[in-house]
Amino acid sequence: MDIGSHVITLMAALILVVQLLMTAQRQLPTSIRLFAIQSLLLAAIAAVVAYYHNASHVYIVAGLTLAGKVFFLPWLLNRLVQRIQIHQEIEPLFNAPTSMLICGGLTLLGYVVARPFTSLERLGNNTLPVALTLLLTGFFLMINCRKALTQVLALLTVENGVMLAAVAVASYGMPLVVELGIFFDVLVAVMVLGILVYRIRETFASMDTSKLNQLKG
Amino acid sequence: MNMNDFSATLLTCALGAYVAGIVGALLFQRAEKLANGVGFGLAAAGGVCGIFACASSLATGAATASQSFALFPSLIPYVRFGLRADALGCFFGMVVSLLGVALSIYSLGYVRGYYGHKNAGVLGAFFNLLLLATTLVFLADNAFFFLIAWELMALSAYCLVSFEHEHAETRNAGVLFFIMSHLGTGCLILGFLLLFQASGSYGFEGFHALGDKMPAARRNVVFLLFLIGFGVKAGMVPLHIWLPAAHPVAPSNVSALMSGVLIKTGIYGLARVCFDFLGTPPNWWGVTVLTLGTISAVLGVLYALMEHDLKRLLAYHSIENIGIILMGLGAALMFLHSGHPVLASLALIAGLYHTLNHAVFKALLFLGAGAVLHATHTRNMEDLGGLAKRMRWTTLCFLVGAVAISALPPLNGFVSEWLTYQSLLQGFGTTTSLIRLMFPLSGAMLALTGALAAACFVKAFGVTFLGQPRGDHARQAREVPFPMLLGQGILVAACVFLGLFPTVFLKLFDPLTRQLTGQQLSQQLTMADGLVLSGGPAQGGTVSTPGIALMLLCLLPVPLTLWALFARRAGTRIGPTWDCGQRGLTPQMQYTATGFSKPLRMIFKALFRPRREVQREYDFSPYFTTTLRFESHVEEVFQTRIYRPLRWLVLRASRRLRALQAGSLQAYLIYIFVTLLALLLFAL
Amino acid sequence: MNLPALVLQLLLLLLLAPLVSGVIKNWKAKLQNRRGPRPWQVYFDLAKFLRKDMVISEHTSWVFGFAPYVVFLSALLTGLMVPMVHLPAPLSLFGGVLAVVGLLALGRFFLALGGLDPASAFGGMGSSREMTLSAIAEPALMLAIFTVAITAKSTDLSQMALSTQSATWKLLNPAHVLAFAAMFVVLLAETGRIPVDNPATHLELTMIHEAMLLEYSGRHLAFMEWGASVKQLVLMTLLLNVFFPIGLAGPGAGAAALGISLLAYLAKLLALSAAVVVVETTNAKLRLFRVPDLLSAAFVLATLALLSTFLFH
Repeated sequence: MDIGSHVITLMAALILVVQLLMTAQRQLPTSIRLFAIQSLLLAAIAAVVAYYHNASHVYIVAGLTLAGKVFFLPWLLNRLVQRIQIHQEIEPLFNAPTSMLICGGLTLLGYVVARPFTSLERLGNNTLPVALTLLLTGFFLMINCRKALTQVLALLTVENGVMLAAVAVASYGMPLVVELGIFFDVLVAVMVLGILVYRIRETFASMDTSKLNQLKG
Repeated sequence: MNMNDFSATLLTCALGAYVAGIVGALLFQRAEKLANGVGFGLAAAGGVCGIFACASSLATGAATASQSFALFPSLIPYVRFGLRADALGCFFGMVVSLLGVALSIYSLGYVRGYYGHKNAGVLGAFFNLLLLATTLVFLADNAFFFLIAWELMALSAYCLVSFEHEHAETRNAGVLFFIMSHLGTGCLILGFLLLFQASGSYGFEGFHALGDKMPAARRNVVFLLFLIGFGVKAGMVPLHIWLPAAHPVAPSNVSALMSGVLIKTGIYGLARVCFDFLGTPPNWWGVTVLTLGTISAVLGVLYALMEHDLKRLLAYHSIENIGIILMGLGAALMFLHSGHPVLASLALIAGLYHTLNHAVFKALLFLGAGAVLHATHTRNMEDLGGLAKRMRWTTLCFLVGAVAISALPPLNGFVSEWLTYQSLLQGFGTTTSLIRLMFPLSGAMLALTGALAAACFVKAFGVTFLGQPRGDHARQAREVPFPMLLGQGILVAACVFLGLFPTVFLKLFDPLTRQLTGQQLSQQLTMADGLVLSGGPAQGGTVSTPGIALMLLCLLPVPLTLWALFARRAGTRIGPTWDCGQRGLTPQMQYTATGFSKPLRMIFKALFRPRREVQREYDFSPYFTTTLRFESHVEEVFQTRIYRPLRWLVLRASRRLRALQAGSLQAYLIYIFVTLLALLLFAL
Repeated sequence: MNLPALVLQLLLLLLLAPLVSGVIKNWKAKLQNRRGPRPWQVYFDLAKFLRKDMVISEHTSWVFGFAPYVVFLSALLTGLMVPMVHLPAPLSLFGGVLAVVGLLALGRFFLALGGLDPASAFGGMGSSREMTLSAIAEPALMLAIFTVAITAKSTDLSQMALSTQSATWKLLNPAHVLAFAAMFVVLLAETGRIPVDNPATHLELTMIHEAMLLEYSGRHLAFMEWGASVKQLVLMTLLLNVFFPIGLAGPGAGAAALGISLLAYLAKLLALSAAVVVVETTNAKLRLFRVPDLLSAAFVLATLALLSTFLFH
């Protein structure tokens, strides 16, 4: 129990670090790799929670995360990157130090908001602030990135946040059906978005979503 | 006269000497040498008296709030021309007297540069007046007397800033100083009126712990008024804009006095009001002061880095150091709020010790800049260089000041910043709310400030004194006259003493903390017979500046042994600097001050918004330019974003109000009459 | 103050510091499929520098000759304040981590002045970059240390090591891990390692530390180089013994415990050197204006370390 809670806090912290690195990252393939690492950590947390609570359905969540987010989605996205041949760096709205500082502030906010619901009594409960932070920084990432593909990645980290919150708070309570629902929702969404990205690229010869305003009549 | 007789007599002597200095300097203004000698000689004598009066009063513990006496009888009700030498006043009195001595001696040499074209007598008279007024500000016992001294100080400072009024830059700076200063004074008057309303007298003894009896809202208004009023004088961001304009244009001895002491009257006022008058503070006061202090410190040093005018650079550093002092005061307020008087005392000592240290090393640096100005007639670092070979002693003094201000051990800047770090770190444990994150974060910003200050002084010292001279003025520079060196020497000694023996000095803070927080810390902060400074009762860590200095000397045999073992036969040759085989390294190829700070300008470009203009003319290839013009500007955010719109608003409003100014007497009488009626109705 | 301990630690510092530099150089070469210099080559280099004549620029002042001694002595003095193989450090009473950082800054101050003194463009460039980057690294360094200092309630390094060593400490404490990561980045920056500076080149576009030493020769150069390697060792020791004081002998330990402590220390040192080597080999040098990104990442990591003392407790 004691060791388990330490492993979980450490991994939650690492998830946070990965998220920050993603904010500072300018290379798309690296971002995808970072996302895979983050998902791996998330799966590990789920597995630890499942182990200590004998909640077998959480194992399923962990397994699905591993298969879907660590292997399948990164592979899909990598293939997309290769197909539309993006080589340039991501052009964010804010530069790396600023966006990292903003993320630091968001972490603080996440902590403040989540504190009333956090307790040390239940295993994994103290990762709630991290979950909330993932949500917030994910949104920030979506705003910060102009490229459609990175926005997809940001959406995925938001989903990771939701997942972590599910594991952390409701976890061994949230019905499996709901978790599966969320999971497949995202899966489908990413595939649709992938196709959309491909189309945007075909139409505008760019992935810059700010060019979408040219669609106005 | 119920004060300790010895101190009181000395204090009166000091004030008398200043007055005599004013009269003497004016009397002999036809004979420049005599005016210089009499004016600054008497100022130095007054300073010596002041040091002894205040130090003895602090050391014997006689400095308490009850020690007051009337300077001369007053015929006006409420107004009493009383002095009270309590611990806080004595401490600041000591600072001003110490600088008074060093600066006066320096001035004996510096003012020679004005012979023949400026009136040395007037300079001496105003210098004495400024010293007199500043001393009175620190010792006044009555709000009225305080304000009179305050205005006298502002006026004499204005006259001194405008001393070289033939330059337009100087006149503008003087006017800006005057306007800002009066903005502050207005706030102070309002604040004192509110205090008067609560206590029924203007005496400072009536104001003691008055805040606890006042309604919370009014107390907060009083705090804000004083924060603005004293903040202007202290040069706290965002009220600082007059400081980098006014300090550089004044004569250097006056710049030193202004940066060393004048801005500290703001700190004195804040300390007096917050710790003496307003009672137990709410938390947001401390948070505000700490935040403003942190911002001032970081922005001050960042703007200093962008300067290549030696004196403007130093002026911006004053803002930085005021920020560091405010960090100490703000932390002290927060600790008072959370009921930790011991920690509050530590933070207060840190802030006030830095006040003294900053006074000493900043004055020293301004004197160094003055010496450079005296010898080369330029403040522009891009024209300087190579002075280390031409002005050996000034170089040494400036280097000591630079090391001290960069908070490097074992000199005094390090000691007070160490105390500030200690109070911030120990402050983390005082509350459980999220606010406590402020302490380590401000600590990190203090670290940034210190490191940037070091960068800035590598630039200031390196570009001014090292390398090759960049201009003819620097090439022909000569060492300055002896009194100027002596003045700097005194301050160098003070830097070293305050750095190496802080524990001796901490004893003087005992009466002060006893008065303001009811604690006495010198015992707890001293270890190993005063050789080691400790972080306080909570065991925050120890440091020993004498130990560090001693060990640096004790380790010297290591390289010397290596030298003796290996390099006995190694010779030394003098050769040219490596020039990549280009033959002929010119001074223009050295790094300039602007170039030195370029990386920081680029890193913080969101703040500086640098603009640069390059015009080049060339014949056949852009790589072989015939002429090149380069201009680089940094935006002053506060000027353009706050003050310029504000000025525009004020001007527009006044244009509207001009309609009221009909020019007819009747109309004016009506205004007065209506006001009178309104007031009468209001009183009903 | 324990005089034998002081002398022993002084000798250890002086002798171990060049070896660490040499080992890193050697391993780096091995990892890049080169033979590389032997690890103890650095000793021969230093001896050679000491024996050589000095050529001093005609434009320099006394500051130039003064700087190497300040750099060397301040680095040595910081080494005596950091616990290496036993607690407390010989001079722990003389100053804790704030004094160590201050003394390193003192050395850097004079190093940068020494770079400016010969009136060459390279020296100024090096000084400017060094002071800039160290200034940006400073808040991250301090904040990372504060995280530990606040837990230990002391800025004394020996106290900090003791508190991390005590039973309440958990190996997987996220605050420690994050602060360690931040400190590691700062270590790379402060010792002029590859993503920040390239210690192996004299190419004007890339060099920082070497640019300041360009005009130094003979024994001055030896003291500068030796001082730099001592500084590197001190920072590495700080990282190891404050964050992972495993095996560190406590006060009053016997000879056997001291021996184990020394072995543990050397093992940790080699592991950290290996980490440095891996980072240096797998990364390319960053552009100067991208280094602040790295350092601000370190700062945010340190902030997170501080935050996670809340997040998880």
